[in-house]
Amino acid sequence: MKMSMQGHVYPPYRLTPDRMRAREFMAALGIDVEPAMPPPTYLVFLRGETLGVNLFADLDIPREKALHGGQRYEWFAPVTFDDAFDVTVTVDKMVEKTGKRGMVWFADVTFDYRFAGTDRLAVREVTRLVKQS
Amino acid sequence: MSKRAYATGDVLFETTLLPTGRARVAQFSQATEDPNPIHVDDAFAARAGFKTVLQQGPMTTAQFARLLSDVVGAPALRVLDVTFTAPVYPEDSLTLRAEVTATSPRLACALSARKSDGTETARGIAELEVG
Repeated sequence: MKMSMQGHVYPPYRLTPDRMRAREFMAALGIDVEPAMPPPTYLVFLRGETLGVNLFADLDIPREKALHGGQRYEWFAPVTFDDAFDVTVTVDKMVEKTGKRGMVWFADVTFDYRFAGTDRLAVREVTRLVKQS
Repeated sequence: MSKRAYATGDVLFETTLLPTGRARVAQFSQATEDPNPIHVDDAFAARAGFKTVLQQGPMTTAQFARLLSDVVGAPALRVLDVTFTAPVYPEDSLTLRAEVTATSPRLACALSARKSDGTETARGIAELEVG
């Protein structure tokens, strides 16, 4: 893992919830409804990949060596389909450890979703990426 | 249901989800704009050391969020922290459980997801603002 990325802050990107994607999201969970509001975890780090935040490439995590360690969400305000978000991504903490099968690397990456054009935080997501050797 | 209605040890839900199946796993990748082939390509999954394609960890997170929302309403969600502890395959059924661990200052829950053989695939906590 590219440890020098610790502390890196990406330029913000803008994200707008999409009703069709939200419906598809719920359908994948087994729920066939048109949601009135975006599902709580609709805002997910994966959406940043096509918007300039390609963590797997930038942190040097080949996908066949990647594991997803977990996610943490904090909600600060309701989110609607009429909202847009400026998303700031920070590579917070990177750690390497020696495990039973060799080196393992961990990275916590924070996604702050602020209401577009404001400093008001709506959602914070921390995603924990793992690279196996 | 008000905050006072809950007590430590209460089980908010213990729900067994039927196997997701490959089609819905692929649909979740599409819905989350996840390009990782490990969720749709068996050969790639094999190269990564797994027996078949993997179900996404964020799907477990999303199911916890959905089930918590069903109980207390989505606006009550404040924190959801989930650690993925074992791979989940599309043919796995999962039992998701939330048990109250504290009622003040927020309602707090311990979360777990287990396969039918007892293997824990995720654990975590939730904090809810209810009442």
